[in-house]
Amino acid sequence: MAYRAPDDAGENLMDHSYDGIQEYDNPTPSWWHGLFWASIVFAAVYTAFWHFSEFSWSVHDMHRHQEAMHYKKLFGALGDLKPDEATMLKMMSDEKWRMVGSTIFAANCTQCHAGDGGGINGPNLTDDAYLNVRTLEDMYAIVTKGNVPKGMPAWENRLQANERILVAAYAASLRGARAASPRPPEGEVIAPWPAASPIPGG
Amino acid sequence: MSDSNVRATASAGPIEQRGMGFRSRPHRRSDAEPGAVEAFTYNDAIVRKFMLATVVWGLVGMLAGLFIAVQLTVPQLSFGLEWLTFGRLRPLHTNAVIFAFAGNAIFTAIYYSTQRLCRARMFSDLLGNLHFWGWQLIIVAAAVTLPLGFTQAKEYAELEWPIDIAIAVVWVGFFGVNFFGTLARRRERHMYVALWFYIATIVTVAVLHVFNSLAVVAGPLKSYSVYAGVQDAVMQWGYGHNAVAFFLTTPFLGLMYYFLPKAAERPVFSYRLSIVHFWSLVFLYIWAGPHHLHYTALPAWASTLGMLFSLMLWMPSWGGMINGLLTLRGAWSRVVTDPVLKFFVLGVTFYGMSTFEGPMLSIKSINALSHYTDWTIGHVHGGALGWNGFMTFGMIYWLMPRLFQTPLWSRRLAEWHFWLGTLGIFAYWISMQWAGITQGLMWRAFDDSGALRHPDFVETVRAILPMYWVRAVGGSMYLAGLAMFALNFAMTWKARPAQYDTPVQSAPALRRGYVDPPTPESPLTSVMETGKKVERFFALHWHRRWERLPFRFTVWVVVAVVVASLFEIVPTFLIRSNVPTIATVRPYTPLEVVGRDLYVAEGCYNCHSQMIRPIRAETVRYGEYSKPGEFVYDHPFQWGSRRIGPDLQRVGGKYSHDWHVRHLEDPRQMVAGSIMPAYAHLLEKEIAFRTVQPHVRALAMVGTPYSREDIDGAEEAARVQARAIAAELENQGGYAGLETKQVVALVAYLQRLGMDLHAAPEEEPETPAAAAMKEDGR
Repeated sequence: MAYRAPDDAGENLMDHSYDGIQEYDNPTPSWWHGLFWASIVFAAVYTAFWHFSEFSWSVHDMHRHQEAMHYKKLFGALGDLKPDEATMLKMMSDEKWRMVGSTIFAANCTQCHAGDGGGINGPNLTDDAYLNVRTLEDMYAIVTKGNVPKGMPAWENRLQANERILVAAYAASLRGARAASPRPPEGEVIAPWPAASPIPGG
Repeated sequence: MSDSNVRATASAGPIEQRGMGFRSRPHRRSDAEPGAVEAFTYNDAIVRKFMLATVVWGLVGMLAGLFIAVQLTVPQLSFGLEWLTFGRLRPLHTNAVIFAFAGNAIFTAIYYSTQRLCRARMFSDLLGNLHFWGWQLIIVAAAVTLPLGFTQAKEYAELEWPIDIAIAVVWVGFFGVNFFGTLARRRERHMYVALWFYIATIVTVAVLHVFNSLAVVAGPLKSYSVYAGVQDAVMQWGYGHNAVAFFLTTPFLGLMYYFLPKAAERPVFSYRLSIVHFWSLVFLYIWAGPHHLHYTALPAWASTLGMLFSLMLWMPSWGGMINGLLTLRGAWSRVVTDPVLKFFVLGVTFYGMSTFEGPMLSIKSINALSHYTDWTIGHVHGGALGWNGFMTFGMIYWLMPRLFQTPLWSRRLAEWHFWLGTLGIFAYWISMQWAGITQGLMWRAFDDSGALRHPDFVETVRAILPMYWVRAVGGSMYLAGLAMFALNFAMTWKARPAQYDTPVQSAPALRRGYVDPPTPESPLTSVMETGKKVERFFALHWHRRWERLPFRFTVWVVVAVVVASLFEIVPTFLIRSNVPTIATVRPYTPLEVVGRDLYVAEGCYNCHSQMIRPIRAETVRYGEYSKPGEFVYDHPFQWGSRRIGPDLQRVGGKYSHDWHVRHLEDPRQMVAGSIMPAYAHLLEKEIAFRTVQPHVRALAMVGTPYSREDIDGAEEAARVQARAIAAELENQGGYAGLETKQVVALVAYLQRLGMDLHAAPEEEPETPAAAAMKEDGR
């Protein structure tokens, strides 16, 4: 059964025909008009609020705010850490901060040092041999300044000081852990870290 | 059919004035004297050619699409061949589907319907053939150059300058002249709405193509965009978005306005709606380009314009959908049985869905999630497969019996095509929305401690691989439908008569001195004259007059389109505050230029963005958000639109040279689960040092501040830096002997990316004169 439109009798059919195509003289639907005008009004209000009122904020303001809140959440309890041996040892043994360090490690370090620290084209972090590192402070220094000619990037412009301390502590804590396919030792065997650090799964 | 007959039918209806007042009225016409009746035939041979090309390129383009879709799950499918990597084949797929498949479909529609709507043969058979063969040659040139890595790296405008020039010549010189020539020789006084859309298509595509492609030539198949960074992005997405508008929307609306009422044998729902939605669409579309650049280094006002005009576009787009669907009133019973109408109904419905999803995705906060994800990919395929594909299939199923003058070979197969295609589109669209939302949410997820939940990017890729398989299945179904379509096409063609029947048409020529029927008085009585004028304006009688004046009509279309450019593009170029200068941002070194050329040639932008948005999850993952001033030497910009791999804006210094070389040689050796193709050929191929100097010189011509010494010494500087990097590489991991290989140049470029922001400020100029010059330059 064909649907019969109210205007099907042809009374508001227009007089022209193009290759047999005719057109009705129907009004545009009112909901169509309504939404079209609504979108225009919305555009005016939106512009007035976001670009001409003092109550608005920019994406950059928003980002600054988010960044501040984020650091507060991450490190509010820590304050500004000092990259000294005591702090490093504390961060190596505190399971909560070690976990935070591990996510920084996962985001930035695993592609050269491997997820378990065994090393891919970056040195193995699980053995006792180190390049450029003698102390825990050196660990922080190499993360911060890198050893660019040899391939270790400098992270001082990429990570906050706290983040660098946490990731250095995490990397140091991997010493002695078991790696799936460790790179052979490079550099010199150095003395153990000052106090025994807990090595989960090691 | 004599002219007096035509007139008799035209004025046959009842005379009283009702409705919106477009009814026939008694009036005197000074051309009451009919012109001499002329006999002519339609040129359908050219339409058959375009139709065949549509089918062939459809198969090619979509097969390429399926291949690269499967590559994303099985990256080994590039077989280690540089010509088959995703980065080089994806532009081939998009160009083939847009310009070859949809392009030839547009020409089929325009060449068939324009002749009939104008009651005139196409202006020139020769121009038609030049247009046809020229366009096919351009497609072949694209299919050869893109896999070879010749590209301008601007999405949907990748083709290098000689092909760009050919496109302009074929489009304007052959197609445009042929079309407007036909309009000039028409025997139908007024232009039907389909022709308005064709006019908008032809002029706007010409303007967009020419201005986006402006470049300085650096070699036989190498050029640099005259625009850089933010400006290039605005131009490119003004183009990219409006390729969708004026290549994939307006011509298909024209197609719909002709073929849908023809197939349904029903009058169009509303003439008034045609007028309103045509002009609002043409005017509003152009402004919406910046919605592709939300949260980027684009100025905020441009982003807002992009979003708001996209929202305002919702109803003008739906005006087309309404006019299509409501034209079917009284023909719905036939939709059940007629495959042509089935394709049209679904095509128009997909248009409605895409033009709802589009404005929604342009809302900044939604875009923050959807941008760089597969949601966008799903969105465009809903439009391309559903709207462009199905309207094309509907049209060709309708044309086949008429142009091959024999019944369609198999209606059943057409039904199968319809259902397979429909299911395929849904599988494709929904899987990509799913993948996009999943990945978008994973990128931004933080755990309770405030750390990223998925710090390793490849995790977010692994999570959506199952959806990639669903997409491939959906695409295969659609392609299988297309194969059935091609078979039906071939078999119907085979059954054609030995000689096509060419009926002779006759129509009176148009005469000069036509006088429009008098505009009826405003029914308003107790208002001021201005009120009456406003009422008359909205009654739209003036438009009827425009419809018989193609030149004036075209001029107003150009005005509608150009206004947006004045408001959006010009300020972006002229107002300094839009791109604040950063003193430490320096031009690329000659070797980095070579590396950047390689980045462009390999199509890295197809998977990697170079644009970190000021969104916390992003600055945690990638580093400081991108600033407009960082891109002032980027000809072309390489912000990208999809992150199949991670952002690279601050990758400089993040990895060692050694890591990059190993990773390029075999990505999975360094990143387990990576879906990046291997680029081992970069370790084999030599840097073309002799092109360094012309390339640097061309970059100087587009405004990069290289001195004469920089240009003269470019090749030597490149060699020196390459040797230094090769030495560092050897020092790092044992790769030796790479000092003349391409990989060294690419590494030089990658290591530079994003570094300038934190670079030490340049040393003070030594002489007072230099200081003064510097002061002046500021």
